[in-house]
Amino acid sequence: MNFAALTLPCYITVAALLSIGLYGVISKSNLMKIFISLSIMETGVNLLLITIGHIPGGTAPIENANFAKYVDPLPQALVLTAIVIGLSVTALAIAVLISYYQKNGTLEYKEGMKW
Amino acid sequence: MVIHPVLLIAIPLITAFIIPIFKKYGAAIAGGAIAFNMGYAIGIFFHVYSNGKIYETIAGFNPPIGIFLAIDSLSALLALIINLFAFINFVAIGKEANYKFSMLYLLAIAGSTGIVITGDIFNMFVFFEITAVASYALIAGKKDKKALEGAIKYMVLGSIASSFILIGIALIYSQLKTLNIYDIAARIASMDAKIKWASFAMLLTGIGVEAEIFPLNGWVPSAYQGASEGVASLLSFAPSKAAIYAIARLMLVIFPFHATYEIALWVGVITLLIGELAAFMQEDVKRMLAYSSIGQMGMILIAFSLASQDLKYALIASLFLIVSHAASKSSLFLLSKSEKMHGMASKYAGIVSVLSLIGMPPLAGFWGKWYLMLAAMDEKLWLVIILIFFAGIVETAYFARYLHRSIGNDGELSLRYKATMAAMASFAILFGLLPLVYKIASLPLWGG
Repeated sequence: MNFAALTLPCYITVAALLSIGLYGVISKSNLMKIFISLSIMETGVNLLLITIGHIPGGTAPIENANFAKYVDPLPQALVLTAIVIGLSVTALAIAVLISYYQKNGTLEYKEGMKW
Repeated sequence: MVIHPVLLIAIPLITAFIIPIFKKYGAAIAGGAIAFNMGYAIGIFFHVYSNGKIYETIAGFNPPIGIFLAIDSLSALLALIINLFAFINFVAIGKEANYKFSMLYLLAIAGSTGIVITGDIFNMFVFFEITAVASYALIAGKKDKKALEGAIKYMVLGSIASSFILIGIALIYSQLKTLNIYDIAARIASMDAKIKWASFAMLLTGIGVEAEIFPLNGWVPSAYQGASEGVASLLSFAPSKAAIYAIARLMLVIFPFHATYEIALWVGVITLLIGELAAFMQEDVKRMLAYSSIGQMGMILIAFSLASQDLKYALIASLFLIVSHAASKSSLFLLSKSEKMHGMASKYAGIVSVLSLIGMPPLAGFWGKWYLMLAAMDEKLWLVIILIFFAGIVETAYFARYLHRSIGNDGELSLRYKATMAAMASFAILFGLLPLVYKIASLPLWGG
C-alpha cells in the first residue's frame, strides 16, 4: 500500500472536518448540536497533527528490529493530550447543559441570550 | 538558595487533587497552598530582580527537547501579581468557598501561573486549557440562569479558541519540528512565509479569545455578569493577564516583525474604543466593569505592540497598566457585591481604584498612560494619541457616573471583605510610588 498517497486525502479530510465543525457552531441554535460541532472540529485538529507527523513508509513509533523508519512520535503524544482535554471540556459542557435545561426547559438559546 | 519555579505550578495542582479527600478542611488547605504560592512568587520575583533571569528544565531533558520554564523579570512580575491577588481575593471570598470551589480556584491559579512562566508552546496550550476549564466551572458554579449563559458562551468561544491555538502550534511544528518558544524564535526566519503568517493568525485569534480582544470578546460581559463577585475578580486578574502576556510573548519573541506590530497596534486601538464606548452605554455595574476591562486590555495590547518597536517607555507603560488594572478592577468587582459603598474602607477602595483607572497621578494607572503617550510620541503616532485621550475622556465620564451612583452607606459588607478590597486598591498606590517597575523594565528579557 502506498502511504505517501494518503497525505493529501488526510489534509482534505482535515479541511472538511474543520469546516463542518465551524459551520455547525455558526448555524445551529441547539446548544447540544453546537458542542457536537465543536467535537468534530477538535477531531479535525487532531487528524491534522497526526498527518503532520506522518513519514511515508514509517511504522508506529515502537522500537523494533524489523523496521527502520518510524513516524514522528511527538505529534501523537500531543494528540493524546488534546483528546483528554477535549473529553474534559465535553464532559463539563454536558454537565452545564443539564443544569441549563433544568433551569430553562429547553436547549435552544433564549431570545434574551445576546451574542 | 536553590529556586524551583516549577513549585509555583506543582503545589496548587497537587493540592487541588488532595482537597476532595479532606472535604471539610478543603478551603483551609487551599488557603495554605495559595499563601505558600504567594510567598514563593514573591521570593522568585526578588531573586530575578537582583540576579536576573532564571530557567529550570523539567525531568532532566535539556531544551530544546525537554520542557523548560523560563522566568525573566516580566514573567516574574506577572506570576507575582497573579498569586498575590489570588491570595487576597481568596481571603475576601472566605466562607463562600467550599471544597469544590477551592479546587477549581487552585486549578485556575496553577494554569495562569503556568502560562506565564513556561518556555514551551504546547505546554502553554495545556495551561490555557487548565485555566479555561477551571474558569468555565467557576462561572457556572453559581447555577443561576445568567451564570449558565455566561459559562456556555465562554465555553463555545473557548473551545474554538483552543482548536485554533492547536492548529497554530501544528503549523509551526510542521515546519520547524520544535515546540520550544526560544528555539522557534531563533529559527522563525527559515519558515515558509505563508505558513508563518497562518500560524500567527491562528495563535493570535486563539489567545485573543482569552485575552478579551475585540472582536473575540463576546463572552466577556455575560461571563463577568453571571459569575459571583469573587470569580469575576479572579477572571479580571488571572486568565486575562496571563493571556495578554502570552500575546506579548508571541509578538516580542516569536514573531518580532513590523507587520505583527501594526496588526496588534490597530487591534488594540479598536478594542480600546469599542470597550470604553460600550462601557459608557451599560446600565448594569458588572457589565460596565467588564466592558471597561476590554478597553483596558486594548490599551495594554497597544503598549505591548509599541514595546516591540521601542522598549524604553512602552514596556514600562504596559507593566504599570497591568498592575493598575489588576489591582483596581479586582477590587471594583469585589465592591459590586453591594449596591453602595458601605463604610470608609470600601469608599477608599472604590475611589482609589477609579482614580487609578482614569489615570490620576501618582497612581499606577497614571504612569501607565503617561509612558504610553511618551512611547506613542516617540513613534509619532498622533492618531493613536488622540484616540487614547478620547477613550480616557469616555472612561472618566462613566466612572464619574459610577461614583455618583454608588457613594452611599447602604448595603452590608463584612469587615474582612472591606479590608481585602482596601488592600487590593492600595497596590495601585504602592506600585505607582515605588521605583520597582522601572528597574524591572530595564532587566534583560528572554529572547528580547
